[in-house]
Amino acid sequence: MSAGSLGRKFLLVELFQGLSITLKNFFRPHITMEYPREKPELAPRFRGVPRLRRDPGTTEELCIGCLLCEQICPDDCISIVVDKRPGGKGKMAKSFIIDYERCCFCGLCVDPCPTTPITAIYMSHDYELSDYSRQEFITQRATLVDGHPLKRYEK
Amino acid sequence: METRLVIINVVIPAIKVAVVLGVMSLAVAYATLLERKVLGFIQLRLAPRRVGFHGILQPIADGIKLLLKEDIIPDRADRALFILAPVISIIPAFAALAVIPFAGQSFNVLGFEIKPWITDVNIGILYILSISSLGVYGIMLGGWASNSKYPLLGSLRSAAQMVSYEVPLGLAIIGPLLLAGTASMTGIVRAQESQGVWFVFPQIVALFCYFISGMAETNRIPFDLPEAEAELVAGYFTEYSGMKFAFFYLAEYTNMIVVSSIATTLWLGGWLRPFPGVQALSFLNFLDFISPTLSGVFWFGFKVFMVLFVYIWVRGTFPRYRYDQLMNLGWKWLLPISLANVVLTALVLTIRHG
Repeated sequence: MSAGSLGRKFLLVELFQGLSITLKNFFRPHITMEYPREKPELAPRFRGVPRLRRDPGTTEELCIGCLLCEQICPDDCISIVVDKRPGGKGKMAKSFIIDYERCCFCGLCVDPCPTTPITAIYMSHDYELSDYSRQEFITQRATLVDGHPLKRYEK
Repeated sequence: METRLVIINVVIPAIKVAVVLGVMSLAVAYATLLERKVLGFIQLRLAPRRVGFHGILQPIADGIKLLLKEDIIPDRADRALFILAPVISIIPAFAALAVIPFAGQSFNVLGFEIKPWITDVNIGILYILSISSLGVYGIMLGGWASNSKYPLLGSLRSAAQMVSYEVPLGLAIIGPLLLAGTASMTGIVRAQESQGVWFVFPQIVALFCYFISGMAETNRIPFDLPEAEAELVAGYFTEYSGMKFAFFYLAEYTNMIVVSSIATTLWLGGWLRPFPGVQALSFLNFLDFISPTLSGVFWFGFKVFMVLFVYIWVRGTFPRYRYDQLMNLGWKWLLPISLANVVLTALVLTIRHG
């Protein structure tokens, strides 16, 4: 053992190094987040539940009923019934159901959506989906467009 | 005249005991909160903050919870000893507080002079050493009376550890005793006042040995082998629940405060402000305008708090010792170091005083 390492051992250098590390941590800000009081900042491409959206200009529904999302869905959780668009040309989804119980949040339904410049189906930032019955997860078009109602625990 | 004697000899001591017991129980409860807070911050967590403002009422909630919990006595346990053990472990812990001087100046209430300590015997430190050694009986009896494997192993370890570390602990205390020339707790602080220096400066080695031995005596991490949760479930109080468990817990934290108080009194100048010999720093006793007792209590409390913080800081930093390492450290390192410190101190004193 060299003189230097002997000195280190006798002066307990390593122990004091450890103490200084914990003291530094003592003054660092905590990393715990008090959810649900504080919520994490989501990344722009965060994949919450898929939802439908309207044209921001005309507030008309964007979905043209092409069934591409239904076909690509790996969980078969999307089911669409197509109908003629009233008072215009083209088609629209008469009923649009996403079964959130089966959805795996993969975002594949967004990729083939042909409407431009924004897709009709998109991955929203909603993730608080707990509910009391399984029926609630089979989500109808109105909910898909207007957003998921947040349910709080009640006794 | 008769009533005056009764008040001086019975009423005032009884009130002082009640006050010290009450304040210390509260301090012990809040020591647990301090520990959880400091550990939490070291680990970048938040620590309890749900009960009251930033968790300030957490110890009270814990106490209520423990009081209301079901109190189980195992079927095959020795009932009498099982109930006695937590009591035996907590009484010496609180009894040791009797000789600790919380401040220097006495104060007057209704013409009676009240000293800020319960009693001042001239063998104060010996009294503390002997009474705190009794605490190990509680742990041993608790482990034995549980009639269960893990508590028994834990209490055996605890007994061996306490016996080993009592030796360097006692030797480390001799250093400041030699410098002060008295074993009275107030006498030691007054010696530091008259010599104008805290004994931590000439006796840093002794404080070091004392601090490590004290940690081992109170079964704290890194010396918590008696309750090593990874090996022994919870050690000697595995079978305890409810308030009996809380008694062991409180005893541990009371012992922590007692060890910190002794370190404060013997090495860190007790109720004295920093640098008691320098007149220019007398503004540090800023509570003097209310009462000199109060500034004494403030400095004493502040130093105890700092020692407790170091205690918890060490706990948050180091892993647990292995059993053979524990014995190595006690007998091969701390004992020779503290012995050498005693010899050296005595030698220097002899040469200086002729």
